Amino acid sequence: MSSRTDSPMVRSAAWRISLWATLAFAFGTMIVFIFLHRFIADDIQRRSDAWLSGEVEVLGDVAERTPKDALYDRVVGEVAELAGKEVPNKASSETSSNDSVFFLQEGTDSSLKLWVGAGSGQNTLQAIRKKKILSDQPTDLRVSGFPVPFRVASIRVDDGSQIYLGLSERDELRVLNSLRLRFFLLWLLIVLFGFAIVFSTTRRMLSHVRRITEAASRIGHSDMHSRVPTTGRNDEVAQLALTLNRMLDRIESSMHQLHTITDSLAHDLRSPLTAIRGKLEMSLSAATHGEQAEPIVSAIDELDRLSEFLNQSLDVAEAKADALRLTRSEIDLDELLRVMVDLYEPSMAERGLQIGFGSAGSLKIDADASLIHRMIANLFDNELKHLPAGCSVTMQLQVEADSASLVCEDDGPGFSPDVLPHLFERRVKGRESNGHGLGLAFIDAVARAHGGAVTARNRETGGARISVSLPLAAR
Amino acid sequence: MRLLLVEDELDIQSFLKCSLEEAGYQVDAAADGKTAEQFAVEEAFDILIVDLGLPDLDGISLILRLRQLGVRAPVLILSARRSVDDRVRGLEQGGDDYLTKPFALAELLARLRNLLKRSSPAGSEATRLRVLDLELDLLRREATRAGQLLQLTPQEFVLLEYLCRNTGRVVTRSMILDKVWGMRIQPDTNVVDVHIYRLRGKVDGKGQQPLIRTLRGVGYVLKDR
Repeated sequence: MSSRTDSPMVRSAAWRISLWATLAFAFGTMIVFIFLHRFIADDIQRRSDAWLSGEVEVLGDVAERTPKDALYDRVVGEVAELAGKEVPNKASSETSSNDSVFFLQEGTDSSLKLWVGAGSGQNTLQAIRKKKILSDQPTDLRVSGFPVPFRVASIRVDDGSQIYLGLSERDELRVLNSLRLRFFLLWLLIVLFGFAIVFSTTRRMLSHVRRITEAASRIGHSDMHSRVPTTGRNDEVAQLALTLNRMLDRIESSMHQLHTITDSLAHDLRSPLTAIRGKLEMSLSAATHGEQAEPIVSAIDELDRLSEFLNQSLDVAEAKADALRLTRSEIDLDELLRVMVDLYEPSMAERGLQIGFGSAGSLKIDADASLIHRMIANLFDNELKHLPAGCSVTMQLQVEADSASLVCEDDGPGFSPDVLPHLFERRVKGRESNGHGLGLAFIDAVARAHGGAVTARNRETGGARISVSLPLAAR
Repeated sequence: MRLLLVEDELDIQSFLKCSLEEAGYQVDAAADGKTAEQFAVEEAFDILIVDLGLPDLDGISLILRLRQLGVRAPVLILSARRSVDDRVRGLEQGGDDYLTKPFALAELLARLRNLLKRSSPAGSEATRLRVLDLELDLLRREATRAGQLLQLTPQEFVLLEYLCRNTGRVVTRSMILDKVWGMRIQPDTNVVDVHIYRLRGKVDGKGQQPLIRTLRGVGYVLKDR
């Protein structure tokens, strides 16, 4: 498994789910805020525009009615200043010098007739001249020397002069700025909080799924009794666990059925075989002549072959149904192969065969000793029975990734092309073979039952190559 | 030696009784658990053979019941089942033994002997074995025949030692595979025979009395007569 190096955190789908959910949430709330912001900004402006229009009308009225005497400037100026104190949206901590409002009266000769506000008013007059301001609609006006634009309303007085009332947008902008700042902080908080909640929730839910997966992958050949963990709740994950467990119940019950069948079949055949063998042995001990003994001896041999065939076919049948029962223990394949080579070497030598063994040292697997012994004996028996004299066999044991690989190669005639595609099926054997045709099917069955695999093919240079891989014991 | 045989298949029961009596055991046979229990309580047996598939009672339940009743004799369990039950394994660890059907008579006898040897206090382990003029030094791992040192491989020495320890008794091929090579396999080739031929070539020289004999269809025996 190459993903073993990643941390389970990063691999988990919880990351992706919570990331996407948070993105969608953040994007959505942002759009809502933009609409809200625009609405509030419009509303503030509408209010200040209403005030401006009202005030400028009042001022126009006052300017018209006030007699054009020495007091005119003062009266209009006072009224303008008073109006400036009632500015909407005005911050409470405003300084006494009122620079958020200006009042400007432009004479018919385009000169500054009256000015109430901060500074001399010339800059403002220039800005007003540059920009044609219509009398009925308040408009924005940028004045050099002021960082914030003004909102200006104007009215024409009967004497030909023009009155301008300007209101700084500073307060409006400050309100909006503080609104944006507060929203942004709150938004950040909510998004982070939301991310944390979504992440932890999905992670908890997916960890249930992961536990189910882990448990389900453990439940297999040897362990059919365990079940995946169930949560007390009644959500989809719990349903998944329940469904899996019900499925496992059914599998276990059909496996149990199969075991009952193979067990009773074995029992029903073995009992008479035992009786027959016993009687044969008794008559063998009674037989005094070699001629009498010969058929009895061969009958006993046949009977032993038959019972081994029975064992193997039931093993293969169970293994094909993934129902082979294993009693696992730690086996050193290297050691086992050495013993096997030692056991088979004389028989091979007697038939004119050579055997070689290569190994990289101790190689432990967790397997059923009896099945593995029989599987390897089968490999050797196979070679012993099928190779013509003068050939040689090489057994090579090595580690490949997470498994032990046993490669058995010979330089004999190889598999005949007509059996090659069906090698692992039952009852397939070469024409000259005197075996019962279970050998490779049995080897394949045992390897599969242990989570391994077998491949068989002819080598390019001639001869057969059988490769068995078995998972290494966990360290 | 008194032996209680609990086996419901009458065919098997009769030939076992015959063969066991021939081997020198005094055999009582029972065909079901109830009869077996009565026998075991009434009389003292040295060893028991119990088949797992009894008509009235599971063989293991019978053994556990007998143990409760104070029967201490070792038990050899016979089974025609495919898988070795966990409970059987438990009994195996408790000093009893297990044999799968069909079996060779020689193996049954060997297992009975082993069980009896285990239940009686063991004598001091011999360091030398002697069969006629064949002598094995178990410490130096050397064998001599008529004073001549035999050139044996370590494996051949183990095989000869096993035969010597069973002098006069038949050992089967699967017993040899089990005890000498540590494998419970049933090869359908002559692997064991070739080892025996090689060993015989070294042990039984020309003009010497042949010690290793083949009993066709049964196995091998080291004869001391």
